[in-house]
Amino acid sequence: MTMHEEWTDKLSDYLDGELEAADRTAVEAHLRTCPECNAVLNDLKRVVSRAQGLDVRPPARDLWPGVSARIDRVAPPRRISFTLPQLTAAAVVLMAVSATLAVKLMQRPESPNTVAQAPAAAQAPLSPAPGTGASDAPIVERVSFADEQYDAAVADLEKAVKTGRGRLDKATIDIVEHNLEIIDQAIAQARDALAADPANSYLSGHLVEARRRKLDLLRRAAALAETD
Amino acid sequence: MPRALDDDVALAAQGDPSAFERLYRTHVARIHSLTRRMLGAHEADEVTQDVFVRTWQKLGQFRGDSAFGTWLHRLAVNVVIERRRSFAIQRERISDDQTALDLATVAPARADLTLDFEAAIEQLPPGAREIFVLHDVEGYKHREIGSMLGITTGTSKRQLHRARMLMRKYLSGS
Repeated sequence: MTMHEEWTDKLSDYLDGELEAADRTAVEAHLRTCPECNAVLNDLKRVVSRAQGLDVRPPARDLWPGVSARIDRVAPPRRISFTLPQLTAAAVVLMAVSATLAVKLMQRPESPNTVAQAPAAAQAPLSPAPGTGASDAPIVERVSFADEQYDAAVADLEKAVKTGRGRLDKATIDIVEHNLEIIDQAIAQARDALAADPANSYLSGHLVEARRRKLDLLRRAAALAETD
Repeated sequence: MPRALDDDVALAAQGDPSAFERLYRTHVARIHSLTRRMLGAHEADEVTQDVFVRTWQKLGQFRGDSAFGTWLHRLAVNVVIERRRSFAIQRERISDDQTALDLATVAPARADLTLDFEAAIEQLPPGAREIFVLHDVEGYKHREIGSMLGITTGTSKRQLHRARMLMRKYLSGS
Protein backbone atom coordinates (compact mmCIF):
# COMPACT_ATOMS: atom_id res chain seq x y z
CA MET A 1 0.00 0.00 0.00
CA THR A 2 1.38 3.40 -0.96
CA MET A 3 1.29 6.42 1.30
CA HIS A 4 -1.41 7.86 -0.92
CA GLU A 5 -3.61 4.74 -0.59
CA GLU A 6 -3.34 5.02 3.15
CA TRP A 7 -5.16 8.33 2.89
CA THR A 8 -7.71 7.30 0.28
CA ASP A 9 -8.58 4.22 2.32
CA LYS A 10 -9.76 6.53 5.08
CA LEU A 11 -11.98 8.64 2.87
CA SER A 12 -15.12 6.49 3.13
CA ASP A 13 -14.89 6.46 6.90
CA TYR A 14 -14.28 10.21 6.79
CA LEU A 15 -17.29 10.72 4.57
CA ASP A 16 -19.48 8.61 6.87
CA GLY A 17 -18.28 10.34 10.05
CA GLU A 18 -16.77 7.08 11.29
CA LEU A 19 -13.28 8.41 12.11
CA GLU A 20 -12.00 9.23 15.56
CA ALA A 21 -11.32 12.91 16.16
CA ALA A 22 -7.56 12.62 15.73
CA ASP A 23 -7.84 10.72 12.45
CA ARG A 24 -10.46 13.12 11.19
CA THR A 25 -8.22 16.10 11.91
CA ALA A 26 -5.32 14.39 10.13
CA VAL A 27 -7.42 13.59 7.06
CA GLU A 28 -8.72 17.15 6.89
CA ALA A 29 -5.17 18.49 7.09
CA HIS A 30 -4.14 16.16 4.26
CA LEU A 31 -7.13 17.13 2.13
CA ARG A 32 -6.10 20.79 2.31
CA THR A 33 -2.86 19.97 0.52
CA CYS A 34 -3.84 17.07 -1.75
CA PRO A 35 -5.98 17.80 -4.84
CA GLU A 36 -5.95 14.11 -5.79
CA CYS A 37 -7.55 12.99 -2.51
CA ASN A 38 -10.03 15.83 -2.80
CA ALA A 39 -11.02 14.54 -6.24
CA VAL A 40 -11.45 11.00 -4.87
CA LEU A 41 -13.54 12.31 -1.99
CA ASN A 42 -15.81 14.21 -4.36
CA ASP A 43 -16.21 11.11 -6.51
CA LEU A 44 -17.13 9.04 -3.45
CA LYS A 45 -19.71 11.67 -2.49
CA ARG A 46 -21.23 11.34 -5.95
CA VAL A 47 -21.37 7.54 -5.63
CA VAL A 48 -23.12 7.75 -2.28
CA SER A 49 -25.50 10.42 -3.51
CA ARG A 50 -26.43 8.32 -6.56
CA ALA A 51 -26.94 5.25 -4.41
CA GLN A 52 -29.18 7.10 -1.99
CA GLY A 53 -31.22 8.51 -4.85
CA LEU A 54 -31.95 5.22 -6.60
CA ASP A 55 -35.59 4.58 -7.38
CA VAL A 56 -37.26 1.26 -6.86
CA ARG A 57 -38.37 -0.64 -9.93
CA PRO A 58 -41.05 -3.32 -10.09
CA PRO A 59 -40.21 -6.71 -11.59
CA ALA A 60 -40.49 -7.01 -15.35
CA ARG A 61 -43.21 -9.64 -15.01
CA ASP A 62 -46.04 -10.13 -12.56
CA LEU A 63 -44.81 -12.41 -9.79
CA TRP A 64 -48.13 -12.58 -7.94
CA PRO A 65 -49.47 -15.72 -9.67
CA GLY A 66 -46.42 -17.64 -8.45
CA VAL A 67 -46.79 -16.25 -4.92
CA SER A 68 -50.51 -16.98 -4.93
CA ALA A 69 -50.00 -20.58 -6.02
CA ARG A 70 -47.46 -21.15 -3.28
CA ILE A 71 -49.41 -19.59 -0.42
CA ASP A 72 -52.38 -21.73 -1.42
CA ARG A 73 -50.28 -24.75 -0.48
CA VAL A 74 -49.08 -23.51 2.90
CA ALA A 75 -51.00 -22.89 6.09
CA PRO A 76 -52.49 -19.39 6.32
CA PRO A 77 -50.98 -17.05 8.87
CA ARG A 78 -52.41 -17.34 12.34
CA ARG A 79 -51.74 -15.71 15.59
CA ILE A 80 -51.08 -18.01 18.51
CA SER A 81 -53.25 -16.52 21.17
CA PHE A 82 -55.89 -17.57 23.62
CA THR A 83 -58.89 -15.72 24.99
CA LEU A 84 -58.92 -14.81 28.66
CA PRO A 85 -61.65 -17.37 29.46
CA GLN A 86 -59.59 -20.07 27.72
CA LEU A 87 -56.50 -19.18 29.71
CA THR A 88 -58.48 -19.03 32.94
CA ALA A 89 -60.05 -22.42 32.30
CA ALA A 90 -56.68 -23.95 31.47
CA ALA A 91 -55.15 -22.52 34.64
CA VAL A 92 -57.99 -23.86 36.78
CA VAL A 93 -57.69 -27.33 35.26
CA LEU A 94 -53.93 -27.40 35.72
CA MET A 95 -54.19 -26.24 39.32
CA ALA A 96 -56.83 -28.86 40.04
CA VAL A 97 -54.86 -31.73 38.59
CA SER A 98 -51.64 -30.59 40.23
CA ALA A 99 -53.30 -30.26 43.62
CA THR A 100 -55.00 -33.64 43.33
CA LEU A 101 -51.84 -35.41 42.27
CA ALA A 102 -49.76 -33.62 44.89
CA VAL A 103 -52.15 -34.75 47.64
CA LYS A 104 -52.06 -38.29 46.33
CA LEU A 105 -48.27 -38.32 46.24
CA MET A 106 -48.02 -36.89 49.76
CA GLN A 107 -50.20 -39.73 50.99
CA ARG A 108 -47.72 -42.29 49.62
CA PRO A 109 -45.48 -44.17 52.07
CA GLU A 110 -41.95 -42.74 52.44
CA SER A 111 -39.62 -43.87 49.72
CA PRO A 112 -35.81 -43.57 49.60
CA ASN A 113 -36.18 -41.96 46.20
CA THR A 114 -39.17 -39.68 46.08
CA VAL A 115 -38.80 -38.71 42.44
CA ALA A 116 -40.89 -40.83 40.14
CA GLN A 117 -38.82 -42.84 37.74
CA ALA A 118 -39.17 -42.53 34.03
CA PRO A 119 -38.31 -45.55 31.93
CA ALA A 120 -34.63 -46.18 31.52
CA ALA A 121 -34.66 -45.07 27.91
CA ALA A 122 -35.73 -41.60 28.95
CA GLN A 123 -33.29 -41.14 31.81
CA ALA A 124 -29.90 -39.54 31.88
CA PRO A 125 -29.12 -38.74 35.51
CA LEU A 126 -26.96 -35.73 36.09
CA SER A 127 -23.78 -36.39 38.03
CA PRO A 128 -23.55 -34.53 41.33
CA ALA A 129 -21.00 -31.77 41.39
CA PRO A 130 -17.68 -32.93 42.87
CA GLY A 131 -17.33 -32.18 46.54
CA THR A 132 -20.93 -31.13 47.03
CA GLY A 133 -21.96 -34.21 48.95
CA ALA A 134 -24.97 -34.40 46.72
CA SER A 135 -24.78 -38.13 46.10
CA ASP A 136 -27.74 -38.78 48.42
CA ALA A 137 -29.98 -36.26 46.72
CA PRO A 138 -32.90 -37.57 44.67
CA ILE A 139 -31.97 -38.34 41.12
CA VAL A 140 -32.78 -35.47 38.81
CA GLU A 141 -33.96 -36.67 35.46
CA ARG A 142 -32.99 -35.17 32.15
CA VAL A 143 -35.27 -36.29 29.39
CA SER A 144 -34.20 -36.15 25.82
CA PHE A 145 -36.90 -35.01 23.44
CA ALA A 146 -35.55 -36.90 20.48
CA ASP A 147 -38.76 -38.45 19.15
CA GLU A 148 -37.79 -42.10 19.42
CA GLN A 149 -36.67 -41.84 23.03
CA TYR A 150 -39.54 -39.60 24.04
CA ASP A 151 -42.13 -41.82 22.39
CA ALA A 152 -40.67 -44.85 24.14
CA ALA A 153 -40.86 -43.10 27.52
CA VAL A 154 -44.45 -42.03 26.91
CA ALA A 155 -45.43 -45.52 25.76
CA ASP A 156 -43.89 -47.12 28.86
CA LEU A 157 -45.61 -44.67 31.19
CA GLU A 158 -48.95 -45.06 29.43
CA LYS A 159 -48.59 -48.81 29.82
CA ALA A 160 -47.81 -48.38 33.53
CA VAL A 161 -50.86 -46.14 33.99
CA LYS A 162 -53.04 -48.62 32.11
CA THR A 163 -51.75 -51.52 34.20
CA GLY A 164 -52.39 -49.71 37.46
CA ARG A 165 -55.60 -48.05 36.34
CA GLY A 166 -57.66 -50.27 38.61
CA ARG A 167 -55.89 -48.80 41.63
CA LEU A 168 -56.88 -45.20 40.74
CA ASP A 169 -60.21 -43.68 41.67
CA LYS A 170 -62.48 -42.50 38.85
CA ALA A 171 -62.02 -38.77 39.61
CA THR A 172 -58.26 -39.07 39.28
CA ILE A 173 -58.57 -41.05 36.04
CA ASP A 174 -60.93 -38.44 34.62
CA ILE A 175 -58.58 -35.58 35.51
CA VAL A 176 -55.56 -37.34 34.05
CA GLU A 177 -57.33 -38.28 30.83
CA HIS A 178 -58.85 -34.83 30.39
CA ASN A 179 -55.49 -33.15 30.81
CA LEU A 180 -53.74 -35.60 28.54
CA GLU A 181 -56.31 -34.72 25.90
CA ILE A 182 -55.60 -31.00 26.33
CA ILE A 183 -51.84 -31.53 26.18
CA ASP A 184 -52.12 -33.79 23.12
CA GLN A 185 -54.13 -31.10 21.37
CA ALA A 186 -51.45 -28.53 22.21
CA ILE A 187 -48.76 -30.87 20.89
CA ALA A 188 -50.67 -31.49 17.65
CA GLN A 189 -51.28 -27.77 17.12
CA ALA A 190 -47.65 -26.92 17.77
CA ARG A 191 -46.51 -29.65 15.34
CA ASP A 192 -48.88 -28.36 12.63
CA ALA A 193 -47.69 -24.81 13.12
CA LEU A 194 -44.06 -25.92 13.03
CA ALA A 195 -44.67 -27.79 9.79
CA ALA A 196 -45.60 -24.45 8.25
CA ASP A 197 -42.83 -22.53 9.99
CA PRO A 198 -40.03 -24.91 10.96
CA ALA A 199 -37.61 -22.20 12.04
CA ASN A 200 -39.95 -20.64 14.58
CA SER A 201 -38.17 -20.87 17.94
CA TYR A 202 -41.30 -19.87 19.87
CA LEU A 203 -43.22 -22.80 18.42
CA SER A 204 -40.31 -25.16 19.07
CA GLY A 205 -40.23 -24.08 22.69
CA HIS A 206 -43.99 -24.45 22.93
CA LEU A 207 -43.80 -28.00 21.58
CA VAL A 208 -40.98 -29.01 23.91
CA GLU A 209 -42.87 -27.57 26.88
CA ALA A 210 -46.10 -29.39 25.95
CA ARG A 211 -44.23 -32.67 25.56
CA ARG A 212 -42.50 -32.12 28.88
CA ARG A 213 -45.87 -31.51 30.56
CA LYS A 214 -47.26 -34.70 29.07
CA LEU A 215 -44.32 -36.72 30.32
CA ASP A 216 -44.59 -35.14 33.75
CA LEU A 217 -48.32 -35.83 34.01
CA LEU A 218 -47.89 -39.44 32.93
CA ARG A 219 -45.04 -39.93 35.36
CA ARG A 220 -47.16 -38.65 38.25
CA ALA A 221 -50.11 -40.77 37.21
CA ALA A 222 -47.88 -43.85 36.91
CA ALA A 223 -46.48 -43.21 40.39
CA LEU A 224 -50.02 -42.97 41.78
CA ALA A 225 -51.12 -46.12 39.98
CA GLU A 226 -48.11 -47.94 41.36
CA THR A 227 -48.63 -46.98 45.01
CA ASP A 228 -52.38 -46.45 45.45
CA MET B 1 -49.19 3.59 7.75
CA PRO B 2 -52.32 4.59 5.79
CA ARG B 3 -55.53 3.27 7.29
CA ALA B 4 -56.35 1.03 4.29
CA LEU B 5 -52.89 -0.55 4.37
CA ASP B 6 -53.18 -1.05 8.12
CA ASP B 7 -56.48 -2.83 7.52
CA ASP B 8 -54.92 -5.00 4.83
CA VAL B 9 -52.18 -6.11 7.22
CA ALA B 10 -54.80 -7.12 9.77
CA LEU B 11 -56.92 -8.91 7.17
CA ALA B 12 -53.95 -10.71 5.66
CA ALA B 13 -52.84 -11.80 9.12
CA GLN B 14 -56.22 -13.50 9.43
CA GLY B 15 -55.62 -15.40 6.19
CA ASP B 16 -57.26 -13.11 3.62
CA PRO B 17 -55.35 -13.66 0.34
CA SER B 18 -56.95 -10.64 -1.37
CA ALA B 19 -55.66 -8.33 1.34
CA PHE B 20 -52.27 -9.99 1.06
CA GLU B 21 -52.23 -9.40 -2.69
CA ARG B 22 -52.83 -5.70 -2.07
CA LEU B 23 -49.88 -5.67 0.32
CA TYR B 24 -47.82 -7.46 -2.32
CA ARG B 25 -48.73 -4.88 -4.96
CA THR B 26 -47.80 -2.05 -2.59
CA HIS B 27 -44.39 -3.42 -1.62
CA VAL B 28 -43.18 -5.61 -4.47
CA ALA B 29 -41.16 -2.91 -6.26
CA ARG B 30 -39.08 -2.13 -3.20
CA ILE B 31 -38.53 -5.79 -2.33
CA HIS B 32 -37.66 -6.74 -5.91
CA SER B 33 -35.20 -3.85 -6.14
CA LEU B 34 -33.53 -5.06 -2.96
CA THR B 35 -33.23 -8.67 -4.12
CA ARG B 36 -32.09 -7.65 -7.61
CA ARG B 37 -29.38 -5.38 -6.27
CA MET B 38 -28.16 -7.84 -3.67
CA LEU B 39 -28.37 -11.09 -5.62
CA GLY B 40 -28.59 -10.12 -9.26
CA ALA B 41 -31.42 -10.05 -11.78
CA HIS B 42 -31.25 -13.80 -12.43
CA GLU B 43 -32.31 -14.62 -8.85
CA ALA B 44 -34.46 -11.61 -8.03
CA ASP B 45 -37.82 -12.95 -9.22
CA GLU B 46 -37.55 -16.25 -7.38
CA VAL B 47 -36.25 -14.73 -4.16
CA THR B 48 -38.89 -12.00 -4.23
CA GLN B 49 -41.53 -14.71 -4.36
CA ASP B 50 -39.78 -16.50 -1.48
CA VAL B 51 -39.93 -13.29 0.54
CA PHE B 52 -43.68 -12.92 0.09
CA VAL B 53 -44.39 -16.57 0.84
CA ARG B 54 -42.33 -16.24 4.02
CA THR B 55 -44.19 -13.04 4.83
CA TRP B 56 -47.51 -14.86 4.49
CA GLN B 57 -46.30 -17.56 6.86
CA LYS B 58 -44.98 -15.09 9.42
CA LEU B 59 -47.70 -12.47 9.34
CA GLY B 60 -49.14 -13.92 12.53
CA GLN B 61 -45.97 -12.80 14.30
CA PHE B 62 -46.20 -9.18 13.14
CA ARG B 63 -47.04 -7.19 16.27
CA GLY B 64 -47.04 -3.71 14.78
CA ASP B 65 -44.02 -2.62 16.83
CA SER B 66 -42.62 -1.11 13.63
CA ALA B 67 -44.20 -0.12 10.34
CA PHE B 68 -45.21 -3.10 8.25
CA GLY B 69 -42.90 -1.96 5.44
CA THR B 70 -39.93 -1.85 7.82
CA TRP B 71 -40.74 -5.32 9.16
CA LEU B 72 -41.15 -6.68 5.65
CA HIS B 73 -37.89 -5.14 4.48
CA ARG B 74 -35.93 -6.66 7.33
CA LEU B 75 -37.54 -10.04 6.65
CA ALA B 76 -36.52 -9.70 2.99
CA VAL B 77 -32.92 -8.93 3.95
CA ASN B 78 -32.91 -12.07 6.10
CA VAL B 79 -34.27 -14.18 3.25
CA VAL B 80 -31.55 -12.85 0.95
CA ILE B 81 -28.84 -13.58 3.50
CA GLU B 82 -30.19 -17.09 4.07
CA ARG B 83 -30.19 -17.62 0.33
CA ARG B 84 -26.55 -16.70 0.15
CA ARG B 85 -25.67 -18.89 3.07
CA SER B 86 -27.62 -21.81 1.73
CA PHE B 87 -25.31 -21.86 -1.24
CA ALA B 88 -22.31 -21.69 1.06
CA ILE B 89 -20.89 -18.71 -0.74
CA GLN B 90 -21.11 -16.13 2.01
CA ARG B 91 -17.67 -16.67 3.46
CA GLU B 92 -15.87 -16.56 0.13
CA ARG B 93 -17.69 -13.47 -0.99
CA ILE B 94 -17.11 -11.55 2.20
CA SER B 95 -13.43 -12.43 2.30
CA ASP B 96 -10.86 -9.71 2.14
CA ASP B 97 -9.31 -11.31 -0.91
CA GLN B 98 -8.33 -8.48 -3.22
CA THR B 99 -8.30 -10.81 -6.21
CA ALA B 100 -12.04 -10.72 -6.65
CA LEU B 101 -11.98 -6.97 -6.71
CA ASP B 102 -9.12 -6.83 -9.17
CA LEU B 103 -10.97 -9.19 -11.47
CA ALA B 104 -14.23 -7.29 -11.21
CA THR B 105 -15.28 -5.71 -14.45
CA VAL B 106 -17.26 -2.55 -14.79
CA ALA B 107 -19.99 -1.99 -17.32
CA PRO B 108 -19.20 0.40 -20.15
CA ALA B 109 -20.96 3.74 -20.03
CA ARG B 110 -24.41 3.87 -21.58
CA ALA B 111 -26.88 6.64 -22.23
CA ASP B 112 -29.18 5.60 -19.40
CA LEU B 113 -27.08 6.54 -16.41
CA THR B 114 -29.54 5.16 -13.84
CA LEU B 115 -29.49 1.76 -15.47
CA ASP B 116 -25.73 2.01 -15.78
CA PHE B 117 -25.46 2.64 -12.09
CA GLU B 118 -27.70 -0.36 -11.38
CA ALA B 119 -25.69 -2.49 -13.80
CA ALA B 120 -22.48 -1.46 -12.10
CA ILE B 121 -23.88 -2.48 -8.70
CA GLU B 122 -24.65 -5.92 -10.09
CA GLN B 123 -21.08 -6.29 -11.25
CA LEU B 124 -19.55 -5.54 -7.88
CA PRO B 125 -18.04 -8.59 -6.15
CA PRO B 126 -21.01 -10.08 -4.24
CA GLY B 127 -19.69 -9.47 -0.71
CA ALA B 128 -18.92 -5.83 -1.44
CA ARG B 129 -22.16 -5.49 -3.35
CA GLU B 130 -24.45 -6.54 -0.54
CA ILE B 131 -22.71 -4.24 1.91
CA PHE B 132 -22.88 -1.36 -0.58
CA VAL B 133 -26.60 -1.98 -1.10
CA LEU B 134 -27.37 -2.38 2.60
CA HIS B 135 -25.34 0.70 3.63
CA ASP B 136 -25.53 3.23 0.82
CA VAL B 137 -28.84 2.29 -0.80
CA GLU B 138 -30.87 0.96 2.12
CA GLY B 139 -29.33 3.00 4.90
CA TYR B 140 -28.30 0.31 7.37
CA LYS B 141 -25.41 1.06 9.76
CA HIS B 142 -22.18 -0.95 9.81
CA ARG B 143 -23.13 -2.32 13.23
CA GLU B 144 -26.44 -3.60 11.87
CA ILE B 145 -24.80 -5.02 8.76
CA GLY B 146 -22.16 -6.76 10.86
CA SER B 147 -24.90 -8.32 12.96
CA MET B 148 -26.93 -9.44 9.94
CA LEU B 149 -23.99 -10.89 8.03
CA GLY B 150 -21.95 -12.19 10.94
CA ILE B 151 -18.92 -10.06 10.10
CA THR B 152 -17.03 -7.36 11.97
CA THR B 153 -17.82 -3.70 11.46
CA GLY B 154 -14.22 -3.33 10.23
CA THR B 155 -14.82 -5.83 7.43
CA SER B 156 -18.06 -4.09 6.57
CA LYS B 157 -16.26 -0.74 6.32
CA ARG B 158 -13.46 -2.14 4.18
CA GLN B 159 -15.86 -3.83 1.78
CA LEU B 160 -17.94 -0.67 1.53
CA HIS B 161 -14.92 1.42 0.65
CA ARG B 162 -13.82 -1.07 -2.00
CA ALA B 163 -17.30 -1.10 -3.47
CA ARG B 164 -17.41 2.68 -3.60
CA MET B 165 -13.99 2.85 -5.25
CA LEU B 166 -15.16 0.43 -7.93
CA MET B 167 -18.32 2.43 -8.46
CA ARG B 168 -16.20 5.59 -8.73
CA LYS B 169 -14.15 3.89 -11.39
CA TYR B 170 -17.31 3.19 -13.31
CA LEU B 171 -18.73 6.68 -12.95
CA SER B 172 -15.49 8.30 -14.02
CA GLY B 173 -15.32 5.99 -17.03
CA SER B 174 -11.72 5.04 -16.31
